[in-house]
Amino acid sequence: MSRVLDAKGKDLRAVSTQLKEMIAVGGGGVTLKNAAHLHGLCGGLKSGEITIEGNSGDYLGVLNDGALIRVTGDAGKYVADNMTRGTVLVDGDTDYGAGQYCYGGTVVVRGSAGDFTATMNKGATILIGKDVGDEVGTYMLAGDLVIVGNAGHNLGNYLIRGNIYVGGQWASLGHNIKEEPLTEADVDKLQGYLAEYAIKADPRAFRKLTPLSEKPFYK
Amino acid sequence: MPVVGAFCVTVHKDACINAQVPGKCATCVEVCPYEVYAIDGNGQVAVQNYNACVGCRICAEFCPENAIRINPAESEHLTRYPWTLGQVEEIHHKALTGEYLLRGFGTMGPLPHFDQILVVPSQLAAEPPKDKYREECEMEVVIGEDTCEKPIRLKYPVIFPAMSFGALSREAKLALAIAAAKMGIAGNTGEGGLVEEEPYYCHGYVDKEETQKKWEPGGYLVVQWSTGRWGVSADFVRAGDAVEIKIGQGAKPGMGGHLLGAKVTEEIAAVRGIPVGSDALSPCRYYDVLSFEDLKKQVAFLRDITNYEKPIWIKLGPSRPYDDVRLAAEAGVDAISLDGIAGGTGASPDLVTQGAGIPTIACIPPAVRALKDLGLHRKVKLFALGGIRNGLDAVKALAMGADGVGFGTAAEIAMGCRACMACHKGNCPYGITSQKPELRARLDPEEAGQRLANFIKATVEEIKILTMLSGHSDIKDLSEEDLRAVDPNTAAITGLKLIGYERRMPWWENEHGN
Ligand SMILES: Cc1cc2nc3c(=O)[nH]c(=O)nc-3n(C[C@H](O)[C@H](O)[C@H](O)COP(=O)(O)O)c2cc1C
Ligand code: SF4
Ligand code: SF4
Repeated sequence: MSRVLDAKGKDLRAVSTQLKEMIAVGGGGVTLKNAAHLHGLCGGLKSGEITIEGNSGDYLGVLNDGALIRVTGDAGKYVADNMTRGTVLVDGDTDYGAGQYCYGGTVVVRGSAGDFTATMNKGATILIGKDVGDEVGTYMLAGDLVIVGNAGHNLGNYLIRGNIYVGGQWASLGHNIKEEPLTEADVDKLQGYLAEYAIKADPRAFRKLTPLSEKPFYK
Repeated sequence: MPVVGAFCVTVHKDACINAQVPGKCATCVEVCPYEVYAIDGNGQVAVQNYNACVGCRICAEFCPENAIRINPAESEHLTRYPWTLGQVEEIHHKALTGEYLLRGFGTMGPLPHFDQILVVPSQLAAEPPKDKYREECEMEVVIGEDTCEKPIRLKYPVIFPAMSFGALSREAKLALAIAAAKMGIAGNTGEGGLVEEEPYYCHGYVDKEETQKKWEPGGYLVVQWSTGRWGVSADFVRAGDAVEIKIGQGAKPGMGGHLLGAKVTEEIAAVRGIPVGSDALSPCRYYDVLSFEDLKKQVAFLRDITNYEKPIWIKLGPSRPYDDVRLAAEAGVDAISLDGIAGGTGASPDLVTQGAGIPTIACIPPAVRALKDLGLHRKVKLFALGGIRNGLDAVKALAMGADGVGFGTAAEIAMGCRACMACHKGNCPYGITSQKPELRARLDPEEAGQRLANFIKATVEEIKILTMLSGHSDIKDLSEEDLRAVDPNTAAITGLKLIGYERRMPWWENEHGN
């Protein structure tokens, strides 16, 4: 049985302090209710299983360093900002900038994600179940970004390292990015991601994008 | 800057050992990182490449016979103003490469600066002077006293501002940490992530567990949260005693940090998470701050992640000091660093360093006014940065209303730098801004740390002298009344009283009443 923490009318400090205490004593996951007004919730956690019932505010799971955080509704802006370890799962959609500045961990958005998703991703695996907005994967330096649906304009602008896989169409590509044939290793990897998070899609139907150069600014 | 003949390199053959006994000495050949000298067929030292000389003077410093003179050639061109040697060579550089100039160091040339301000000593009309030798002077600056569970107590009104690992060598970073510990002041990671020893060195310990203290009294480390977020994690944020949100810096306001690929070694690449040899280009703004509300949320979650224990700081470049400082204070921070155009840099476009931003002395008065208008002056601590060279500059900044000052470039110089301005090339002859092992080996962290500590010690003595001769025994009692502007221009810019006239310029009286 998951323990419940009702955030109604409480501020970040109160909820965060209580949540950390509950995680510290152990005894299973914690379900957070009425937390959509809180921004930066579950920041910098090293462990714990937290379910946010309904929608979340901005910066959910910022600097996450090991916790498993799930949102049953939609998440606000900058989900899993600068995460290093752990997993953030969003059942609904995310606003602008999910998975920015991450060094590691996994972000899964079952719905659609907004503009500037995965900007400056430095090593996380980021899965988007439906479509993404514009400027997604900007200046990505490492990691895998998997977009099951369609992407907007300027996808992967100044990609430096890492891979972007797209199941649908893109409106346009950014600078320093090229299409590359999907290898068997890619298919296996995608198959694994999709199976793990029960996302229905044919791994062979993806197209793969990689950087043209690792040093587009420096000769 | 590859200027043709910017420096005249002269080796006096009468004094040079090698000229007398070929092969006996080749110090200059060894120490010059730009291959200006070579040994010719006869085993003699020859100046083979004048044009590469950047004027760092390390060859002159190390020459055992004092046989070398490095003189700037610019003076010959001054009569050709505005077509000075630098301007001519800049055009050649662009014509040759199609690229604008990038360089390290800060602004060159005459912009309004502290030199046009004087300190007023006390005689009969003010509090009598205090005796530096026999009386105390209060210098402590506390950050986050009412807001944080672990406030920072700087022993002196001095910090080392953010200088990144990458721009600086590991040895230079450690030297700064040691000096911060020895002087009880604060160091700063800069935006390049953490050098492992930095937190406990800053606290004065030689081990991670902080059981063996070597440097008293121990200082603090500020960790920088920046737009590139290099090497940033929850552990990084918690490793500091305060978190500084970098919005901008004086040498390149409106632009992100820029570490040239030449300095991105394996170690730097690993800390920053980028490919070896690639430029580390920080974005010019935060991808995860779209509005002022977002900035407030960042301050709030950084407080949460550091358990409401540690101060949150904002660093600003010189733009619209009144409004910027007001917004920074309203975002809920405990301290603000405001960097003027004179601020140093590891690498920036020359024209931005020279021409974008406003002078430090013009930043401080509006910043102080913004804090006063919010009732937060002396509560939210204001640190003035940018071209502060000594205790005299520092006291002027303090009297204008700042709570403390930062020494960036001056700290580099205290470690040995001779202001050659070629930091971006990664060949720093003193091992300060280089990542090359053979150059880094020239800088011993403990020795450089001692030099830095000596420099700060002398500087705080200067601050003390000037504070006390103005009649105060607490730096917080210094005020604008202790300063005078030397010329109408400076009086107009700063609101200080003009010498002789003994009043402020009329519009300052009318507009701000105080
Ligand atoms: C080598 C070097 C590296 C710097 N790196 C950073 C940095 O990472 N982040 C930052 O905010 N400012 C950086 N700065 C600017 C300093 O923090 C500070 O604003 C400036 O040096 C103050 O001016 P001063 O050098 O005249 O004292 C750097 C400056 C230098 C000289
Ligand atoms: S670059 Fe430095 S070491 Fe080389 S000749 Fe010039 S002053 Fe001497
Ligand atoms: S730090 Fe080194 S490279 Fe930079 S100006 Fe000083 S001596 Fe030259």
